This record gives sequence, structure tokens and C-alpha cells, in this order.
Amino acid sequence: MAIEIGKSVSTKETQEYHKQVVIPLMQHRGPICEPLIYVDDTVLKGQKIGECNHDFGAKIYSSISGHVIGLEDRAHPSCTTKPSIIIESNGKNETINFVSQQNPSKENIFDTLKDSGIIELNGYPIFNILNTTKTVDTILINLTHSSDVKSNCTPENISKLISGMKLLMKASDAVQGAIIIHKNNNQFASAISSGLNGDNIGIISVKRNYTPLMYNLLAYDVTGMRISNRDTPAEAGVMISSAYATLAVNDAVLEGIPPIEVNVAVSGAIGKPGIQRTEIGTSFKDVIQSSGGYVGEPAKIIMNGLLSGTAQVTDEVPVIQSTSEITVQSNDEVVRNEPGPCIHCARCVDICPVNILPARIASFSDIGRYDECSKLNVYSCVECGLCDYVCPSNIHILQLIRFARTALLKSFTIPEEKESPNLKLGCESCQTPCHMGAISSRGGK
Amino acid sequence: MKLVVSNPPHTRQGVSIATIMRSKIAILVAVSLLATIVFGFVVLELVLVSTLAAVLTEAGIQKLSKQELTIKDGDAVSIGMMIALLLPYGVPLWIPAVGSFFGVALVKHAFGGLGANLFNPAIAAWVFLNMSWGALTGSGSVPHIGQYSDIFLELGAGRLAEVSPIVFFIGGVYLIHKKYIDWRIPSSYLVSTIILALIIGENLSYVITGMLFFGVFILATETATSPITKNGRFIYGLLCGVLTVIYGSISYNYVVAVLFAIFIANAVSPFIEKNTYPRPVDEVAL
Repeated sequence: MAIEIGKSVSTKETQEYHKQVVIPLMQHRGPICEPLIYVDDTVLKGQKIGECNHDFGAKIYSSISGHVIGLEDRAHPSCTTKPSIIIESNGKNETINFVSQQNPSKENIFDTLKDSGIIELNGYPIFNILNTTKTVDTILINLTHSSDVKSNCTPENISKLISGMKLLMKASDAVQGAIIIHKNNNQFASAISSGLNGDNIGIISVKRNYTPLMYNLLAYDVTGMRISNRDTPAEAGVMISSAYATLAVNDAVLEGIPPIEVNVAVSGAIGKPGIQRTEIGTSFKDVIQSSGGYVGEPAKIIMNGLLSGTAQVTDEVPVIQSTSEITVQSNDEVVRNEPGPCIHCARCVDICPVNILPARIASFSDIGRYDECSKLNVYSCVECGLCDYVCPSNIHILQLIRFARTALLKSFTIPEEKESPNLKLGCESCQTPCHMGAISSRGGK
Repeated sequence: MKLVVSNPPHTRQGVSIATIMRSKIAILVAVSLLATIVFGFVVLELVLVSTLAAVLTEAGIQKLSKQELTIKDGDAVSIGMMIALLLPYGVPLWIPAVGSFFGVALVKHAFGGLGANLFNPAIAAWVFLNMSWGALTGSGSVPHIGQYSDIFLELGAGRLAEVSPIVFFIGGVYLIHKKYIDWRIPSSYLVSTIILALIIGENLSYVITGMLFFGVFILATETATSPITKNGRFIYGLLCGVLTVIYGSISYNYVVAVLFAIFIANAVSPFIEKNTYPRPVDEVAL
């Protein structure tokens, strides 16, 4: 992409001087990006600063104009440190020339998305999700992830959402699309249905809130096809996108703006709770500062929702693409309950969306019997956190499940996929003596 | 700045063991008060002695074994009250005391305390009392729901729990509505009992007593002694119903049948659970 100095697009009237952004070189699941700039370089807003050609890699763009003052490990919202580019603003807000497109063709959308580095909230680049060998005929927009909906689904965004969805349908040759809405969210459904006219897009109301880790489950609930936890929803012919990614696709394709700003809903013990449009790389501290600052001493800062979000070690962590909600808890809101004995009340079993036995897995994990956890399908867990939420004994079920998974990954290999007995039709007595290997009872030969 | 870091979730529903136990105790208290109206103040003595014995036993065991005191969660109180409700009104007061001691010490704490008991402590204690002092704990009267007012207040009740079927029913439906107990066990137990009783031509007014509703909503749904799998709970309720009708049709006593049915079903509940593990939604193989 040629770097040209375009006109100054001011998204915020009061761009602060000496504002720093810390842009992690890894916001996705793939390997770490290669930085394209050096310390002391001057960068423009929207300039590409990180490159990664891996399948799961996503390119990274500068979110402000200024000069690079460092390239070092910094705190990352995933509670680790990741190599990051630190850019100090020069206050000029110079951008590259964003190339907008009208009526892009399928190839144009594909190329733009490949270059834009938009990451779906589950960590996979949106281009990687689109670029599948499976036939995708349905696009689903998941509007049930509460923090994503809170920040991105404001009334003015709905037309953009639908246009982004149409772009995704065009790119994947999908013939139909559906918007997934929680059944309690009625006023939102009516707002969306008034924005739809024809276009093979429907609205599906569901009973659950689906986090980005539950996309396989969402595909199962919509299509009725069971998907193994090693596969993606493309197996069932659907592609699922969050509100954030759909809006980002719309911006990237139609206006040429790569993902450099995200909407963040800030709530909890702060002065002015609300939604903010924030540059990627802004520290949580700055975001909270501009939402009125802390009220009292903060005790816990949580990214992306109370049920399955990550608690942060420090408020110096930067906003990344998957940040959509920041919650600040004061000291008396922090849950500090001591776990008690399991009374086998089965509340966790009743609420589990993937039909496993969280209580049994938790008690086996607690005594170190990870093999039993594996037998009880610990890998099927989608980490929604509901079992933990309803537990009357305050047992840290989700933590124990994660612990068992980590231990299993370190000690065992993931068990081989079970083969469907439907394929085992023959007795195989003809197959065994044939030294040419010509006869196979598998695959219907 | 000191920040707390923990695994999600960062919020809780706020339903604790104590919440569930308290609402169960509320139902038991309501029945005890109605029993006081029917039988007089001797009932209050019975309930108080039984509850006090259960609580003191639990406190003593936890003090002696240097565990944390867990009387506040209400489990010992509910065991004591349930044992009292299973007894007829005229028993000598040392009977509920011995029963509560047996239930809390030997059935609950000997096996590991809350959530680890093999049998429902109240029923096991009742079985123990019934086997040891059958003449003292036997009931002089058999309840018979002959007219509509008997649903609200059964004057011919022998045991305390039989005085009011409707209180257990309303309380049980409330517990199900609040999701404090599961709906599968009560529904399959009640439906299977009634259907089987109709099939063998039993007089329903002797089958549907206060004790049946006590068993269906409070005793059979005791969490540690029922399976946790969804299908397992259906089967468990079905088994309770079948055993109730078998025992009841042989002995012509559907009150005692409820208790023995749940007692036997408790014994096979781990077996039911082992064989009804659910299939996770991501298991593709058919």
C-alpha cells in the first residue's frame, strides 16, 4: 500500500499531545507479526506496521500518527507480555489515503479483507474464516455476545451492520444470512427487521448468549449439525461473525479504513459509564480516565464481560481488537467466596450448554484424575462460565476445568477422533489377507 | 494499584446452599405448625428435640474433628425437622433424639459430611428407628384423603408429615419454580406412582397422601442421593414410583412404601448415574 499524506481526518476533536499507544504485535491466534518499522520512524494513522503471512496471522496497522518510541515487551490483555510497538502521538492526526470502494467485486472484497487484518473475537482472522475449502452457504451474525452487543450494536450502527453482512455474503457466495438475537432483546430485533428489506436475511431468536468460543454450538443450534471441537462452523456450511467483525469488514471494504479503532463499553465503578470509540493500543487507564475516572479504589478490571472475561493484572494493558467491554469492580463487588463441598445438586448439569457433567469433571480435576476428566469430555467445554455462576457451593468449576485441560495438554495427546460405526460395515476378513491393499472396508469401497 | 486477578466468572448468581436449605426448612416449618394445630403442642416438643439433637450432633462432630462449623447452612436443621416429621406424634422424646444422632453422625458425617452421604439421612434414621423400636414408632392411624378438606388438613394423619399434602405440593412447586430442586425427579415419581396405582386398581385416596408429596418433593430430591444426569433423574424418579407401588400393594401401607422406595432407590442411584452419562453436543460419532 502506497503511503500518501491524505487530508487530516479528525475523529476526535481534542487529540492529546504525547498520547502513547501500545500496539501488541499479536492480537490473533497465529504467530507473532514481524514489525515493519524501526524505532524513531514516523508513522501515519492507518499505516501498516506489522506483517504476518501465516494462515492465522493478521496484519497490524498504526492507530495514530506519530513516531515510534519503542519496540518491547508490554503487558497484554491475555495476562501475559507480548512484543509491542509503542507510538507517541505528534498531535497532527495525519492519515494515509484511505481508498474507498463502491460496489466491490468478490475478488476485491477478498483482497481487502486479506490485507486488513480484521480478527474475529475468537482470535481467528476473518479472512482465514472466509478462505475455507468447505461450501459456506449461510452467514450468521451473532448478536448475543453481551459485551459485543453492548458496545457495537448502537442504533446508528445497524445499517452498517447489514451492509457488512451483505459484503460477507458476497465474499463467501452465501445465498442466505441470518442475524442471531437473544429472545429477550425484542426492541433490538424490531430495529433490525426495519433495516432489512428482502435480501434473504432473516432474524433468528435464540435462548442463549453465545460467546465467541461457542460458535460451533451456535452452528449446531441453528443447523442441527453436530460439529467436533476440532472443526469450525464451516463444517455445517455456516460462517459466524460477531458485530465487531462485521462493522470492521464494512469499514475496511467500503471506506478503506483498516481496524484501528474499536468501540468499547466502559462500565462499573467509574464516573461516566458509556460507549467510547477508542484507538487500538490506548491503555485501559486512558479509556477509564476519559470515562470519568475511577470512583473509589478499583479492585478488579475485567475485559469482555463478567461471565467469561479476563481479569487484568494492571490497567496499563492496551485496548486490542477483541476488546469490547471494560468493567471496573470496586472492592465489595469482587467475588471472594470460599468453595464448599459439592452437594450434587446438578444445577451445573442443567445449565451446561454442551451437555457435559461439570461437577464430576471439577471433582476429578480437583483430585488430579485428569484421565477421568478426559473420559468425561472435558474438551467439549466452551468455557461459558455458567456452571460456575450458578454453583451454590461456590466451587471454581471453570478454573478446575481449565486446569484439567492444561494438565492434559501437557501430559497426554488429545485422544483420536472416534470413527463413526456407520463406516464399519464389513467384517474386514477380506481386507486383512490382501497384500496389495486393494480392498478397503472403509469409505464404501 | 492492587488488582485482584481470578478466573472467570467474576459474578455469581447468589444462590447458596443456605438459600436452598432455608426455603426447604420454611416448608417443613409450615407443616410442623399445621401438625401442631392437629395434634397439639406435643408436636413442637418433638420437632424441637429432633432439630436440637441434629444441630448439637453436627456441632459436636465438627468441634471434635476440628472442622469448620457448618450449622449455618441449615442442613442439620432440615435433617432434624425431617426426622421429626416422619414420626407419629406420641413417641417418647428420646426417639427423635436418637434418630437425629444416627442420621447426622452415622449417615451424614461418617461418610464425609455434606454432599457425601450415601442415603438420605432422614430416611436412613427413620429406617433405623423403625427396625429398632417398631412398636414405638409405628403409626396408629392411616391417612385417607376421603374428602376435599383432607388435602388441606388431614385430621386422620398418623405421622406429622401427613397432615397437609397441599403445603408440600405448593412448596415443592415453588422450589421447582425457583430452580432450587429439579423438576424431573418429582414429575416422573408422581406420574409413575399414580399411573401404576391406577393400573393395578389401587384406591388413589390411600396412595396420594401427605407422605407421598413429602417424599416426591423433599426426600427424593435430596441432592447427594439422586443422580446428577438428566436422564438418570427421570429413571430415578420412575424407580421410586415403581418401588412405592410394589411395596404399597404388598403391605397395603403407601406411607411406609414411600420411605422404603426412596431408601432402596438411593442405593442404586450411583449405578443409574454411571449408565446415563450424556452425549456432549460436539460428539460427532453416532
